Amino acid sequence: MSPVRSRLSARSRHMVGCAVAAALLAGALLLPAVAGPYVVALAATGLVLTVLAFSVHLLMVAGLPSLGQAAYLGVGASTTAHLATAGITLAPLHLLVAGAAGALAAALTAPVVLRTRATTFLMVTFAIGELVHTSAQHWATVTGGDQGIQVPPVILWPGGTPLRAQAGIYWYTLTVVLAVTGGLALLGRTRHALAWRAIADHEPRMHALGHPVNRQLLACHLLTGGVAGLGGALLVAVNHYVCPADLDFTTATLALLAVALGSGRLLGILAAAVGIIAVRDGIGTITAGHSLALLGLAFLTMAYRQPITRWLHTRRTHRAEAT
Amino acid sequence: MTPLLHLDHITRHFGGLAALQPLSLDIPAGTRHAIIGPNGAGKSTLLSLIAGTLHPSAGRILLNGRNITRLRPAARARLGISRTWQHPAIFAHLTVADNLTLAGHRAATPQPDFDDASMGRWLQMLSPADSAAAVPAGALPYGHQRRLELAMALARQPRLLLLDEPSAGLDADDLAALSATLRALPTSVTVVLVDHHLDLVWSVADTVTVLHHGQHLATGTPDQVRADPGVQRAYLRAGEHPVPRQTRHSEAPAAMLLQIRNLTTGHTETPVLAGIDLDLPAGQITAILGRNGAGKTTLLNTIMGLHPAWPPTTITLDQQQLASGRPEAAARAGLGFVPQGRRLFAALTVAEHLRLAEAAGQSRERRRSQPGQSDPTDRPSGRSSSPGTWTRSRVLDLLPDLAHRLHHRADRLSGGEQQQLALARALLTRPRILLLDEPSEGLAPILAADLMGVLRDLADDGLTILLAEQHLPLALGTANQVHVLVSGTLTARCGTDDLPETGRWRPWCTLLGIGDGRDPG
Repeated sequence: MSPVRSRLSARSRHMVGCAVAAALLAGALLLPAVAGPYVVALAATGLVLTVLAFSVHLLMVAGLPSLGQAAYLGVGASTTAHLATAGITLAPLHLLVAGAAGALAAALTAPVVLRTRATTFLMVTFAIGELVHTSAQHWATVTGGDQGIQVPPVILWPGGTPLRAQAGIYWYTLTVVLAVTGGLALLGRTRHALAWRAIADHEPRMHALGHPVNRQLLACHLLTGGVAGLGGALLVAVNHYVCPADLDFTTATLALLAVALGSGRLLGILAAAVGIIAVRDGIGTITAGHSLALLGLAFLTMAYRQPITRWLHTRRTHRAEAT
Repeated sequence: MTPLLHLDHITRHFGGLAALQPLSLDIPAGTRHAIIGPNGAGKSTLLSLIAGTLHPSAGRILLNGRNITRLRPAARARLGISRTWQHPAIFAHLTVADNLTLAGHRAATPQPDFDDASMGRWLQMLSPADSAAAVPAGALPYGHQRRLELAMALARQPRLLLLDEPSAGLDADDLAALSATLRALPTSVTVVLVDHHLDLVWSVADTVTVLHHGQHLATGTPDQVRADPGVQRAYLRAGEHPVPRQTRHSEAPAAMLLQIRNLTTGHTETPVLAGIDLDLPAGQITAILGRNGAGKTTLLNTIMGLHPAWPPTTITLDQQQLASGRPEAAARAGLGFVPQGRRLFAALTVAEHLRLAEAAGQSRERRRSQPGQSDPTDRPSGRSSSPGTWTRSRVLDLLPDLAHRLHHRADRLSGGEQQQLALARALLTRPRILLLDEPSEGLAPILAADLMGVLRDLADDGLTILLAEQHLPLALGTANQVHVLVSGTLTARCGTDDLPETGRWRPWCTLLGIGDGRDPG
């Protein structure tokens, strides 16, 4: 293909991408107007998973696959719940404190997790996630144990009305998620993100170029802890409730699945996370609880996407030759 | 006067192996100091100790009088030490522009010789063309990757530049550019160079240190080192006297074992190879020559199935068409591969590599022995045509260095030992055809000469060999016929016996970018 045609197709692909993104955004904004409260609640839950998946994705950019981000989401949610039960229900403050709590928790685990890489990192983060989950179940005075903590609705500004309507909660969550998406898209263009990608690509070269690799990875880890903490604040705003079951291993794997299905693109991850919740909590109810099997099938399809595409391409080529 | 770099009795042990015996060395600022020696001499270990990738078991390293022995690589880099690796250490998934951005993020100590204008000149000289700025660095031809790596090292404005085998895998053009670049570096940059390309070493270095089995053998000017009998015995002899080309006279024409027709392929939508027709006669060595970026590696990868072929490519082995993009099928059909860069399993020991390869070979042997399976190399072709059965003991007889390293991990081997292991691994799969991509890369002259002998013996034993090689004496000294690949097309073919008589070498020099047109053998 000539360079001119390549440029044209790249431009047209970009335009199609923008058009699809605009259509999705419009659909997302209008969802409460066309769908019932249950679907809107599912979408809001999907948005919460999106934020958690973003934090997993950020670590993946630096080459660190994690199964422990749900722990920071739990810390953020738990902190928010305590603020709210203490009468502080201001949503922006919840976001701020939950983000800080998630980052602080990440700072506490950093000395352990950042000594490892690749599969070892995955296993260590899994262990930390499970430790936090088990501790949360047994530390009932703080987390409410299996009963969890009931939380009053948030308010968007001082003196505002508590956010009880499903549509209002959804729009609030969507706004935060879009802001986080925009922030991460901007972050992706910075030297920090470039450094993380380079560490994933060739860490010894980064050391040899004099980059402070450990500091750069620490910054990434703290940021992802903070983002997961934000997810915790949103979880509390959506459910008005938090319990240790929200941060179990399944939540961590769903976030990882969203990143895999989203092919490492922010909008892809967003669509995948919402889709996962739709399959688990929506379609799952009409398939007699076989939603996890459906998700497994989706993951397999994603894993085999390249061989399948290659096979289809070869078949098409052979047919073209035959004719 | 304080030397820029002072090594004070540094040693390094890997378990029970002394990779470097106590070594003391002073390298004054501004010098070009070469470290040479046979494979396994400890040259790369020494560079890694200076760069901080490894820590010495004993001894001290002083940079400008400051003890840096316990500093990490990043801290040393910030003090002005910059390095390259044996294989290009670039960010393969990032664009060329991003690679350079990361390299120039914060110069160690800005140097007057590296003002913006001169820095721009260096980067322009070494970096790939502007049109390649948005290309992933891993998609660049090998020589360009090496130049990019050197550009990245220089972008740090180093005081001490460590170069590990910078000439490995470079063609004549790239070598000339490298030599010119190193000679033109400002005197504020001290260069420590490890390389087997002796012409480059003699033309660039002011002083040379020779290591042998981790021990210091000699240090002096290039003339002093060349005249040293101990150095000649340990390292130089074979490199100074090229092995003569072998002439073979076949009694009957060999059968064509592998036939390639219209081989076309590329990266994404850009063609790299177009309409390649190539026949490999059974039991003979065919060499592919070409500049870096001509498509030699892509050709071998495509034959091996590591790179998908585009229609209407057909690759036929023993009248059986090989599927595109299926390396496992190619291996089962009898193709063995020694890839550029060796691609060993870093965490496995030598013995484990051999065991894996032997199992694959035995499995293929069992399939071949089933009724209905035949091997075209068993047909009479006027020469001994059966490659024979490769067993572990036979391979270790052929490559005895490996026998002493059976329980060492592949990533702990020297460059030459790794190359031997890659060859051993390929042979144990009992191939009918052996593909070798730059097998002499990183080999000392003596080992390169040994490799020539090994390849000749393999061909005499009936193995068919396809060789892509920059080392012209090796290619011409072993091959029965050579092809020249230029810009993705085979433009010339000749039997190596015909070259001197017919005077056909001179136009080939032009194709290969060899300036004076002398016979390189």
